[in-house]
Amino acid sequence: MGSLFSDSITLRKSIGISDDEFVQLRDFIYDKTGIFVDGKRKYLFESRLTKRLTALGLPSFSDYIKFLKFDPRRAAELNKLYELVTTNETSLFRDLKQLEAFQNNVLKEKLEEQRAAGRRELNIWSAGCSSGEEPYTLSILLHETLRMELARWRITITAVDLSPAMIARAKEGVYGDYAFKTTPDAMKSRYFTKEGDGWKIKPAVARLVNFQEMNLNDPLALKRVPRSHIVFCRNVIIYFDQEMKRRVVSAFYDNLLPGGYMMLGHSETLHKISSSFKPVFHPGTIAYRKEG
Amino acid sequence: MVLATDLKGPDGRLLFKSGTPLSSRHATLLARVGVEEVDVREDTALTAEQLREIEDYVRDFFLYANPDFEPTIAMFHIALDQVAEAVAEGWVLPDLSRRRAVSVEHLEDIFLTGMGTPETIVKHESELASFPDIYFRIREVLADERASADAIARVVGTDVSLAAKLLKLVNSPFYGFPQEIDSVSRAVALVGHRELSTLALGISAINYFRDIPPELVDMRGFWRHSITCGVIAKILAETQTGLSSERFFTAGLLHDVGRLILFKKLPYASTEAMLFARENAIPLVEAEREIMGFCHTDISKPLLASWKFPETLSNMVNHHHDPMTFPNPLGPSVIHVADTLTNVVELAQGGMYAVPPLDEAAWEQLGLDPSILRGVAESCRKQIEAIMEAFF
Ligand SMILES: C[S@@+](CC[C@H](N)C(=O)[O-])C[C@H]1O[C@@H](n2cnc3c(N)ncnc32)[C@H](O)[C@@H]1O
Repeated sequence: MGSLFSDSITLRKSIGISDDEFVQLRDFIYDKTGIFVDGKRKYLFESRLTKRLTALGLPSFSDYIKFLKFDPRRAAELNKLYELVTTNETSLFRDLKQLEAFQNNVLKEKLEEQRAAGRRELNIWSAGCSSGEEPYTLSILLHETLRMELARWRITITAVDLSPAMIARAKEGVYGDYAFKTTPDAMKSRYFTKEGDGWKIKPAVARLVNFQEMNLNDPLALKRVPRSHIVFCRNVIIYFDQEMKRRVVSAFYDNLLPGGYMMLGHSETLHKISSSFKPVFHPGTIAYRKEG
Repeated sequence: MVLATDLKGPDGRLLFKSGTPLSSRHATLLARVGVEEVDVREDTALTAEQLREIEDYVRDFFLYANPDFEPTIAMFHIALDQVAEAVAEGWVLPDLSRRRAVSVEHLEDIFLTGMGTPETIVKHESELASFPDIYFRIREVLADERASADAIARVVGTDVSLAAKLLKLVNSPFYGFPQEIDSVSRAVALVGHRELSTLALGISAINYFRDIPPELVDMRGFWRHSITCGVIAKILAETQTGLSSERFFTAGLLHDVGRLILFKKLPYASTEAMLFARENAIPLVEAEREIMGFCHTDISKPLLASWKFPETLSNMVNHHHDPMTFPNPLGPSVIHVADTLTNVVELAQGGMYAVPPLDEAAWEQLGLDPSILRGVAESCRKQIEAIMEAFF
């Protein structure tokens, strides 16, 4: 059988990016976000971004770079660019073992400490929260742990992400099956209500979470986050280079109150990034403690 | 009726693309430019819209590869045709945004990321389970140049299921012997001492991996990948002078063996790596490096050494992702190209991973014309089913 496709169909469909343009654009993205695009991903990059060039009617990547730097419409374009270079993979109750260890140890310890000191308040920072599954999961864990007592606590979960689109989806709080793949059924029925094709987070849970657009590469913005007892930054620094990892982790360190904890994603460690924290080992996870 | 191939005029210029519906208007036109004959086929069920969807679907898997490299373009066209064929037969293109939702929350890794090395993993593995005895006995016969056909047959014969698999395999179209081979000693005589023992060695190793949690990875799919790679590797090796192609099936069969150990020892991280690869549209091997800090060939190195696996085979397995770093790169290059082509033909079976980039220098090692790839992909397709049947 002959081919259904013309021989003239090319694999390349995108506008070519020269090595020089690639480096310029990669440096630009890095300067803005701290996200490092490996040279191996050049073609992927080229193909994804070609859509933007076409939409803007720009003939080459050099023109696109100029646009990003100087055009009056650059702010909106930056967000589109961010969406194309970030990955928003997430789910509710992601990494159950870690969450269990967190709930039974870290959270328990912090709550007891605060109770003992007569300060029923807790600040958690979810950095790189994507579409909101992570901060909502934390809010659910707090509801499960504190139950009736919750009314007597002042709890704030500050949830930030680079992408305005993700923050908008997070605020909506409606999730499909994929988001629930590891969520215990009891949690789903207790904290969500059916809405259309999906499930919507209950207002009581959503109430604890404060969503904001924020770039973790913006030191001034980071300083405005309330001092935290706990920082969650999972599956975010994996996209950063070593230097940016150091910067962000050190910002978390500064933000944490003495005795506070930082939690990272399953495949992330502080090895070669920071030795300021004390690693506390639990089955399934490491909690990084700020001593003091 | 549509054109079955691109139609070029006498001057070589493209007149109509393959797939163009033919009408009487065309007939008049073609007669005028002096084209007398055209290849036609019946119109398939595929619409132009579907063809465009297929094109976009397939292209997405090639974004990690150099789009201007000729063998890669040839592979792209192979994938296009195979996917189109599957779709014409009723296969529905998977929706990429709906990655398979697996939950492996109950599986535990033996260590947390950064707290162990490939050596730790292999050591842990070999302390827990011992490798099948039969494997080491075959290993011995293989090492002995003068072992008789009978001696090999005797060793293999002690494992009934192994002997049965070997016989099924040598009776399959992969070998294509005219008569039925009904005994192992006959098989040794026909296939040769080295090749048969190497095969037996590979097959006995497979048995060791029966206990991978099925929710983690579809093991049939895993072995299909391995067998496809083995078949392609053998076909490619046969085009080379000075290579004994006999080893290549076994090397292909075991090229991802490190991944099996990762599934056993780091099931959670392995799943994260699979997710990360799909989500970021990168090859699985890259995702392993990102997520675990090492990849499956870093595991196969200490693993195969601990099994005292024959060195030439180990080298092919261990270097299939970086063939040019090995001093004698031809063998690893064959497995590398075979693995890449395997990823390509798998797209039509629902393969979810980006096609790893073809190492250009490794391809050059083989000295082949890219047009050969289509035939290789076609002929391997016919052999896979029979071999799958022999094994599982
Ligand atoms: C893979 S998601 C992780 C979501 C969630 N933390 C989890 O573990 O499931 C990574 C998120 O980090 C965000 N991100 C990447 N770089 C960022 C930056 N410089 N500032 C803020 N957010 C960033 C992305 O927009 C994306 O939503």
